[in-house]
Amino acid sequence: MTELRDIGLIASFEVRRAVRTWRALALIVLYVVATAGAAYVFTQIIGAAEQSLASTLGVPATDTPGTMLTELKANREFRGALSQAVGGTDQLDALLQWPLLAIFHLWFSFLLVPFFAASASAESIALDVRTRALRFEALRTGRLEIVLGRFLGQLLLTGLAAAASIGGVWTVGMLYMVGHTPLGLATGLVWFAVRAWFFSIPFVGIGVACSQLTASPAWARVLAISMTAGSWVALGIARWLETRGDGWAIVADLLIQILPQGWLMTMWAPGLDWMVAALVCSALGLVAVGLGYARFAGRDL
Amino acid sequence: MTDALLFREVTKRYGRRAAPALDACSFRVPTGAVCGLVGPNGAGKTTAFSVVSGFLLADSGEVSILGEPGFSPARLKGRLGVLPQDAELPDRHTPPELLVHLGRLQGLSAAEARSESERVLTLVRLEDRIDSAIATLSHGMRRRVAVASALVGRPELVLLDEPLAGLDPVQAHSLRDALAALRGQTTLVVSSHNLAELERICDWVVMLDHGRCVRQGPLSEVTGQRGVVVWELAGDPPLSALTEHLPHHSWRRDGTHWVQEAPAGADLDAASVVVMRLLVEAGVGVRGVQRGVSLETSFLEGRD
Repeated sequence: MTELRDIGLIASFEVRRAVRTWRALALIVLYVVATAGAAYVFTQIIGAAEQSLASTLGVPATDTPGTMLTELKANREFRGALSQAVGGTDQLDALLQWPLLAIFHLWFSFLLVPFFAASASAESIALDVRTRALRFEALRTGRLEIVLGRFLGQLLLTGLAAAASIGGVWTVGMLYMVGHTPLGLATGLVWFAVRAWFFSIPFVGIGVACSQLTASPAWARVLAISMTAGSWVALGIARWLETRGDGWAIVADLLIQILPQGWLMTMWAPGLDWMVAALVCSALGLVAVGLGYARFAGRDL
Repeated sequence: MTDALLFREVTKRYGRRAAPALDACSFRVPTGAVCGLVGPNGAGKTTAFSVVSGFLLADSGEVSILGEPGFSPARLKGRLGVLPQDAELPDRHTPPELLVHLGRLQGLSAAEARSESERVLTLVRLEDRIDSAIATLSHGMRRRVAVASALVGRPELVLLDEPLAGLDPVQAHSLRDALAALRGQTTLVVSSHNLAELERICDWVVMLDHGRCVRQGPLSEVTGQRGVVVWELAGDPPLSALTEHLPHHSWRRDGTHWVQEAPAGADLDAASVVVMRLLVEAGVGVRGVQRGVSLETSFLEGRD
């Protein structure tokens, strides 16, 4: 119980400290601006697609994106592009019950969240090792409690960023697009933000792991971003290996299982099936933190 | 008397080829002592503190802290307070916010931690800066916040690494008084380059040099207070008369002072009366008298 209490205390202090640090706030604002900006670009793309479709169908076009969503969703080319992104037509049909903008937001979050989460959390321990501020906590509680507390704190901050981005995207959706209700869009964004948050867990884990390896915040950040980018490359290699025969397929399958991106399509699953991917991502996050801790536990502070 | 802190043959190197910062270092600090840990730069003081606090892992040897074998945050929770020498405070918070957080990590309830925060901030005379972010405080004030953090929860053993460093004379005086007031309440280990400051509050001394303990014991023994009297005189003393009346005492000049060394078990009070009488008879003015040599002199002698 004492350990859990200490983890909670450290997480809470981490969040309060980060909120008072301009750097953490700037990252959150950057994330909100990026997602809102991407949402705006998406509304313009939808508007252009609708105008093109209207021209094809010979119907009058409108300037407001979202007025021909029903026709757009039925369009074969549009469906083909979307189904590739979400892992199949069955999943797409289930997902299309949600506002299109919410679906786009989840897709964009899956791209952005890993880098944001890994980069932001890479400072969490390294900075305090460099300034030796960590010693004030290390005297009073175990190193594992500190690491898990910082990990939890970073997850809460990522959740804060994800929650803030909902507001930005919702505002863009209400200002520049029609075809969804305010409540419907908000519900879709919230529901999908939870999935994006779960997908961030392994990358927060990578960030915290890198933060335990060095006393240089800059180096920890470079390492975390490189590992995140490397995980996408590893996924590409695994997909390529899958096509090369039985022996390689086993290796590829194993690699895909341990990469968060390997569970991305399951994250799109309708109903509650995506929670399997969420559980795996949580476990991968803890494994990453644990690997960093193996070094941190035995190092001088 | 049991030991609050015990080092047995502790060695610590920063890198395989580096000279040891602690080299089979052994010393003890009795429970209840106010101990001065003294030594030149690189003697191993900060390393010793860091090993006790678990910040550094010793390469070999044993450390016993309050009867516990080595540092363990679980077993020593709230029992050990440390002022690290050069650790920066998390500076986005006010002093009470930081101290309450640290107090709670020591196992105190929120109310207890708040009360402790108020107490220690008053002790270091920072009660009027509780609403200021630590980042806005002066170096001296931050130092006092750090000292306060080591005292939260009334730990049984408190290690203060250079607590007076960077403080102006007024701040140093007030902090020294606050530390002196802890005598009898806790075991206090203080490291400092300022031996005169340490001498005023310590009753036990551990001297380190090149990572080894070169001398340790009660201040009175280390400085020779039981067998040495240092005289500051206006002229040369009447050595022949002194040797005649106190035949087992020896005299030597040490700069501008004369050092009287008495045999073991000698009654120094009675001997001083004799010396004073002979000095007066010889017309030699007495400018000052001190039992034992200064800690600084003792340290320099110990190094030789």
